[in-house]
Parts: sequence; C-alpha cells; structure tokens
Amino acid sequence: MIVAYSTAQTDSTAATDSLLIRELEQQMQPAVPQDAAPIRTAPTTNPDLSAIGDFRSSYSDAGPRNLETYFNALEVQLSSVVDPYAEAKFLFSFGKDSLNGEYSAGLEVATLTSLSLPSSIQVMLGRFKTHFTKVNQLHPHAFSFVDFPILIRNYFGEEGLFMEGISASVLVPNPWDVYQEFVVEVGRSGSTPSLDYGTGNRLLTTAQLSTFFDLSENSTLGVGLSGLSGVNALDRTTIMAGCDLTYKWKPVQYNTYHSFTWQTEAMLCRTDTSAGSTLQSYGAYSLFEYQIEKRTFIGARFDYSGLPMVEKSDERSISLLLRFQPTEFQILALEFQHANRNFGPGYNQLVFRAIFGIGTHAAHAY
Amino acid sequence: MKRIIVLFLIFMTASFHSPAQLKIVTTIPDLKSIAEFIGGNRVEAFSIATGYQNPHFVDPKPSYILKLSRADVFITVGLDLEIGWVPALLNSARNPKIQKGGEGYVDASVNIPLLQVPSSVNRGEGDIHIYGNPHYWLDPLNGKIIAKTITQTLSRLDPEHQTQFQERLKQFNETVDTKVKQWEGMLSRFKNTKVIAYHNEWPYFEQRFGLKIVDFLEPKPGIPPTPSQLSKIITIMKREQISIIINSMYFKAESADLVARNTGGKVVTLATSVGGVPEIQNYFDLFDHNVRLLLSALQQ
Repeated sequence: MIVAYSTAQTDSTAATDSLLIRELEQQMQPAVPQDAAPIRTAPTTNPDLSAIGDFRSSYSDAGPRNLETYFNALEVQLSSVVDPYAEAKFLFSFGKDSLNGEYSAGLEVATLTSLSLPSSIQVMLGRFKTHFTKVNQLHPHAFSFVDFPILIRNYFGEEGLFMEGISASVLVPNPWDVYQEFVVEVGRSGSTPSLDYGTGNRLLTTAQLSTFFDLSENSTLGVGLSGLSGVNALDRTTIMAGCDLTYKWKPVQYNTYHSFTWQTEAMLCRTDTSAGSTLQSYGAYSLFEYQIEKRTFIGARFDYSGLPMVEKSDERSISLLLRFQPTEFQILALEFQHANRNFGPGYNQLVFRAIFGIGTHAAHAY
Repeated sequence: MKRIIVLFLIFMTASFHSPAQLKIVTTIPDLKSIAEFIGGNRVEAFSIATGYQNPHFVDPKPSYILKLSRADVFITVGLDLEIGWVPALLNSARNPKIQKGGEGYVDASVNIPLLQVPSSVNRGEGDIHIYGNPHYWLDPLNGKIIAKTITQTLSRLDPEHQTQFQERLKQFNETVDTKVKQWEGMLSRFKNTKVIAYHNEWPYFEQRFGLKIVDFLEPKPGIPPTPSQLSKIITIMKREQISIIINSMYFKAESADLVARNTGGKVVTLATSVGGVPEIQNYFDLFDHNVRLLLSALQQ
C-alpha cells in the first residue's frame, strides 16, 4: 500500500513536473514561430554573391593628359540573412588609384541589420554609407549620372561619406499615415575634406527625417531633412544641414517604358577653424532624368558647391547625360560636363561609363 | 440614459470580443482576390502591384513598407518573379511575422506543379526563372492549390475561424471546377490552335485551355522585340497560318500591331491579373474575360 501510494505520488509529481516543463518550454519559444509555411527556394545557405564592374573612357580638355581609358572599379558584394533576427552585407571594392594607377582593395560596406526588433525599430551596425543627404546613400553604380554631384566630392570625397558605427531608424507614426522614417547614426567617419577621424573621443553624429508621399498612382514625392555634427581635420567642430526633394513619375501600366525623376538637394556647412572663427559654405544640385523609351534615358544636372575649408571658393557645372540600358545588368552612359571654378581652371569633359553586373545583387531602395 | 449605457457596454463588449481582421499584403491582385475569397470578412487585403502592371518590375515605394510593417500575412508568387522588389521591401518592413520563415510569410507557389523548370541557367538566355515559369496563377486549377495554401495559413493564424475558411475553400474549389468545365467547353473547338505571344507568361493558361504557343515577340524573355525577331515571327505566322498574337496589358502594342498588319493577324490583349481592366473584379472574372476575348478572336 505504501509502495502503491509512493508510486502514485511519484507519478503525480512526474506529471506535474512534465506539465511545468511543457509550460516553460512554451514560454521559452523563440520569437519566430517554428510552425511556418514552407517556402520554395533553393536549398542553400550560401549568401547572394554579385560582382559589378565599372569601366570608363574619358576626354578632358584640362591637364596634360586628355584621354583616359581605364577600369575604374570592381565591387563584390555578399549578402544574406544571418538568422531570423538579422541580415548581413559585405561590399568589397577594388578601385584604381588615380595618382599611381595601381589597384587596391578596400572594405566599403560591412553591416549587420536587425529584422525583428519591436516598435518598427531597425538597427544597423558596422561600416556603411551615412544617412546624410539622399545621394550620399547610393553607391556609384546605383546613381544615374556617371559621377556624384560636386558637393559630395568637395565635402566627402569621390565615394561619399562612410561611417563606422551604429545606425538606428524608426518608422514615425503620424496622423497623415504617410511613410516617415527617422534615422540617427553615431560613429566615426574616415578622413574627408570636411570631416576627419579625429584624435579625441568626439564622434560623428547624424540624423535624418525622410517623408514620402504618394501623390497619385503614377507619381511620388520624397522630402528629407538631415544634419550632422563631427570633428574636422583641425580637430574642431563641423556642422552640416541638408534638405532633399525628389519627385518621380512613372506610369504604372507602362512602367518599363517611361519615367521622369527630378531631384534637388542643398547643403549648408559650418566649419570651426580656430577659436571664434568659422567658415560657412554651401552646395546644391538639381537633376532631372527622363526615360524616353524602354532602354534609353536622358538627363541634365546643375551643380554648385563651395569648399568646406577654403573661404569664398566655389565650383559650378552643368552635366548632360545619355544612358542606354540593354538589360538591368548592363548600363552604358555618356556624360558631358562643363565646369567652372573660381579657385582654378575650369574644364570640359566627356565620359563614357559601362556598368555590368553578374550574380544576385539585392535591389536598391526606392 | 440607461439605454445609452447598455448600448455602450454592448459596443465595448462586442469590440473586445471581436478579434481584429488579419491584415494581408499580397504582391499581385490575384493572390489578394483568392485571399479575400477564403478569408471573407476575417481579412483585410492589399495588393502591391496592380492588375495592369508588369509584376516583374514594381518600384519598392516606401508607402508599401508602411503596409508591410503592419501586415499579419504576406503572400508572394515566389519563384523569383518579384526578386527585383520584394527583398528590398521586406528588409525594410521591420516585421518578423512576414519575413521568410515567419508565421505570416506565404509562398503561394508551394505544391504547384511547375512548368519550364530549366535544367541549366544562363543569363544569356534572358530573364530565365531558375525554379520554373512563375506565371502559374494563370491556370485556374492552380488557383485551388494557392487557395489551399492560403487557407492553411489563415487557419493557423486565426484558428477560431478555421471552419469558416475550410467552408470557403470548398466553395472556391467547387466554383473553380464548375467554371473550368465551362471555360474548357467554350474553347474546346480551338484545341491545339497555334498562337504567338509577346512574353513567355502563358504556359499554364496554354496547357489548361489547349492552345499551342509557337513563338514569342520577345527574342528572349525580357528582351524587347527586335526587327529580326519580328521578321521571323511574320514568316512563321504566314507559313503556319497563325492569326492570333497574345499581348499583355503592360506591353505596348506597337510590335504586335506591326506583325498583325503584315500577316493579317489579330492582336488579343489578355489580362494577366485581376484588375487588368475594371470589369475584372475577382479571380473568376479574370478567366471569364480572357476566355471570352480569345473565343471572340478565334471565331473571327
């Protein structure tokens, strides 16, 4: 009887334990449920791999050597989800040094981006293109013109402003129910004409608010405000503010045949040079691009830019673009640019660029 | 006053006891239509692409990110049809439920018997889909498989109403079976009729309704028609006495018209999706419309 009672008690305890374990197991279930629908994709965990080549030929009436033909850069990108919570991207660039003609490899982007944080927050860490101005977030192959606007080159260098740090963004709820994203980034930049790595503990901080409106089924308007504060080469503060406006038109039914984009950005830069002394400069550009038929685009861009560390210096240019895209994997572009500078000789140049990609390259943001 | 308080309490109780509808975002309107049929008043669905838009090329507008960030279910055609725009949207949606592998991610191609699965892939052949031709919703019997996949997901996410979903699936399947017999009957006289198409997006429709697509205006998938390809098509049409060129809503008709002028053929612009024209309100209307148009052209 005692044995029977003991066994019953053991059974009862075991059953209670088993229930408790089951309850605990249920509570410890991961955020992403296991009971998900099947997916039809290739059974591989290999990352998406792509390579993009950038070949150029150019004629310029400035300098002793007028004709150039060279392979400008190769970008190799690896990207994949890491686990249910994040995705990773690595972008390596093999570029030609314009001074010695040698190729060198560099890490352009290396990021880990969250996919499942609550309250529509997304966090990215690593090395990335800074959310300051709209055009700075693009890689050269994704920009419609052969070169970045002059303000990018004069303030951040040929490739734009990169940062090593953390980026956090959130979708901002608003009464109009429009897409609004706020991004804050903290980290260190490389050495650029306006900002520097710095010797102390001061970090580069940026913020950007982007708002997007669907004007109609065929047209959209994007508006952005951005600002940054960082340290310059004189170990003093540089503050910048920027705004952008992008209008796009693309008829939904014939979206592969015609489109129009008008994009304008302006930027103000305030550079501390010594105690009580500041330099103020600004830059702006406005571009339009029209798709005249399925594979052919024309465009024009007007640029103005000061120099961040040199007072009363500016540069203006007008660029005309003809672009032909046999497929989305190949872009052939011809750009004429006429530029004037008040700090040196102007120039006229004609550049041919061929961009060609292989492999699986993630789509670019709108 | 008492009555107002009672009404208020009833309203409050009702709203507390009526769980919210499942928010569904689909890539194309056909999936939206099927999801609405199965989900009934338990779902609120939105399609990113319109019925007259080329689903290969959709701009990943930020406003879609907003929709996806709030979605409970995301239904995609899959097979890389939307590879140019869906990954960019999902990665920015910040919604773990609808990421690949999430409880609300639905790949509608699962269990579909695929056609034209390539044995090797080379981009020199144009836009080849490595898993097979992705335009499978254009066979109404595949609509039944899509509906079953959607039913399974809705039942999992809203188990209280799974009986309702199952009943609606049964209704959907019965309607498809009845309609398919009707559509097949309408086109039966024209079985094995040879036709030309602009883009390779009709193999499932072709198989179901017994047409025979001989060639395409595009020399390779995704490559616009070239003079040499059009010349080849004109020769084929004259030689084989083909009189129908099937165009889609989002391809300009210039090339098809040119071929038609040179061969005495007729261009039939079929809808590839629900909403292609205003009269196509749901998945059944899509086939009603296409079969009627095709029949009218074939009878001439």
